[in-house]
Amino acid sequence: MFSLLLKILLAAPFVFSVLIFIFRRSRKAIHLFFGATAFSHLILTVWVLLLFRSNGGDLYECGLIGLDVMSAVILAVTSILFFVVFCMAPRWVDAAYEVEGTGRPKEFERESVFFGCMSAFLGSMTLVLLSRDFGLMWVAVEATTLMSAPLIGFHRGTRSLEAMWKYLLICSVGIGFALFGTMLLAKACQSGTGESLGLSFASLEAIKSFLDPVWFKAAFVFALAGYGTKMGLAPFHTWLPDAHSEAPAIVSALLSGALLNCSFLGIYRFRSLAPAGMERFCDIMLIALGMCSLLTAVVFIIKQRDYKRMLAYSSVEHMGLVIIMLGLGMDTVLLLHIAGHSLIKMSLFFVAGEILFVYGTREVSAVHGILSKRALDAALWAIGILFICGAPPSPLFLSEILLIANAGPYLGGAVLLLLFVVFAGMTNVMVKMIFPGDGTEQIEPRDFSGRSFLSSVPASGFVFAAILGVVAFIYMISFGSL
Amino acid sequence: MNNSTAIVFALILLCDLLLVSSSRMMHCIRVTAVQGLLLGIIPFAVRGWAIPEIGSSGMYVMAFVNTFVKCAVLPALLLLAMRRANVKRELEPMLGYAASVLIFMLLTASAFAIGGRLSGSSDEVAKMATPVAVSTMFAGLLLIISRKKALTQVIGFLVFENGIAVFGNGLMLEYGLLVELGILLDVFVLVFIMGIAVFHISREFSHIDSDRMHSLGDIHNDTTEASAAIFSNHAERG
Repeated sequence: MFSLLLKILLAAPFVFSVLIFIFRRSRKAIHLFFGATAFSHLILTVWVLLLFRSNGGDLYECGLIGLDVMSAVILAVTSILFFVVFCMAPRWVDAAYEVEGTGRPKEFERESVFFGCMSAFLGSMTLVLLSRDFGLMWVAVEATTLMSAPLIGFHRGTRSLEAMWKYLLICSVGIGFALFGTMLLAKACQSGTGESLGLSFASLEAIKSFLDPVWFKAAFVFALAGYGTKMGLAPFHTWLPDAHSEAPAIVSALLSGALLNCSFLGIYRFRSLAPAGMERFCDIMLIALGMCSLLTAVVFIIKQRDYKRMLAYSSVEHMGLVIIMLGLGMDTVLLLHIAGHSLIKMSLFFVAGEILFVYGTREVSAVHGILSKRALDAALWAIGILFICGAPPSPLFLSEILLIANAGPYLGGAVLLLLFVVFAGMTNVMVKMIFPGDGTEQIEPRDFSGRSFLSSVPASGFVFAAILGVVAFIYMISFGSL
Repeated sequence: MNNSTAIVFALILLCDLLLVSSSRMMHCIRVTAVQGLLLGIIPFAVRGWAIPEIGSSGMYVMAFVNTFVKCAVLPALLLLAMRRANVKRELEPMLGYAASVLIFMLLTASAFAIGGRLSGSSDEVAKMATPVAVSTMFAGLLLIISRKKALTQVIGFLVFENGIAVFGNGLMLEYGLLVELGILLDVFVLVFIMGIAVFHISREFSHIDSDRMHSLGDIHNDTTEASAAIFSNHAERG
């Protein structure tokens, strides 16, 4: 029963994606099947998670696919995010046509590619989360790159094309390194035990103390570089700001909120295989890479002139924090951080997209006085920026406090300092945009009064994030730990 | 290790050398096809040309599919992209051909020096396959980094991918039929999408030089240009 349910969960998005491509002549059919993808995925995910919980185990495995606690949480986050994106998407596409000035086209070729790829993108992310085999996981992560590339190039300008090309090339080469790492892992198993046992998590977990240490070290380094590229860890993050700033806001929200978590799972799987003597080596690598990401993000956030790129660098920062938490072995805190970051970042990208629609520019210096013209957007933008910087009641407040408390004086102090600089940089940008400037280079906002309902989605996103933070806090107070 | 295995590995290295030293696209695509064929031969050569056993027939089917895709399908796709984008040769590489060859030689030498130490064991094939695989990956990366044309970068990626496959085939690693098919499918779709992208780039930019695509970035970001060509109809500023 459970395995059948998992298979349906996996297959549904791909089936609907094919249906979208088949019925590409009818706009109604495209939207219907896209809605079916989001609905079916959410319902099946809830069902799967309830069954998983009632079974009481930490792990369910059935051949190449299965579910454990880490992937279950990320699956829930992904599914919710996709559902929200579905609520926004059709109207978003209309608004994009309006801004482009072309009006709604007669042919729906472009829309069918967009929504079809979106569904297939969800399917491949689900495969990453459900796979219980290193090879299959690699195939799925590469598939997410392929399916999301056309989404980034949706606007079809030279800049979108450039961002798409960079994304394809850098991520594919990066993921290529992860494939090499996967093969090195197979070699570590072969030379440690004397036979090839395949790449399934279960069989490798069983013999992990026999893995050849030298080959495993090489495998871990390559896998970290490979999946780290996809996750946006510095210094492999170069595709991320371009892709996030050029992609439509709903795609940026998915990339930042869902895709990065899936790539993180790749690193997590490799880390959990580390044989007894190698754990320290792995953790040092993770913390070093995390600090590097944090530092890079800080440098680029301070001098940032483009508010969408600023959000992209904030993703680099938070992925750095997540990887540091993994290095310190704080698995539960890390899940809280991932869930909080995904929710808040998604909502922030929606608000940023709204501002981009209204003002027509991504320049911080050209946007002034949102507060007097569009008070609701200004409030949401301010709340979002404060939440992403870890102001309570954001769940990130709790996870960052716990990280700093657990990291020891030197590492904790450094992280705290860097987080403070990020806070200063981001609020600086936020304040500049919200309050009236000196009057030079003002852009009159265009009127989008009919579209104010778009704001309700990020608003509810922030409310949910706040609830998550408060619940986690109460839980921690009453049980003493997370 | 028998002689024929060594010859196959040597030929793969020779292909790398031809790729980094050649300027003609057509030539590069042909060499990639030959490399795909050699890649398909490796599993047979390593096993001493043994007659297929009943149990391992899956491996031979896979080897056949692999060879067919890498030797025929992908080069055909590249040729199509080349014709569509109307590009024949790499004119001004960032790195000269002599310099490319020299760097490739140095990288190969270091790969053999390190690879010989890494495997350590008595496994002769591993000692040869690892450095050859790493050198082929280096050759691919060199093509991606030092060439300007988007199409050459696709070829570079394919060579990089071949290098990884040399490692898998040479060391007789097994990771299941489904996974192997999945990897192949991914590579196929990637080259397909990249081919389409090359076509779009050639139309939009009127060139396919990826080094001239630099409107994005944190340092070169021109303030007047940054207000996005997409929203150009709305760029009313005082």
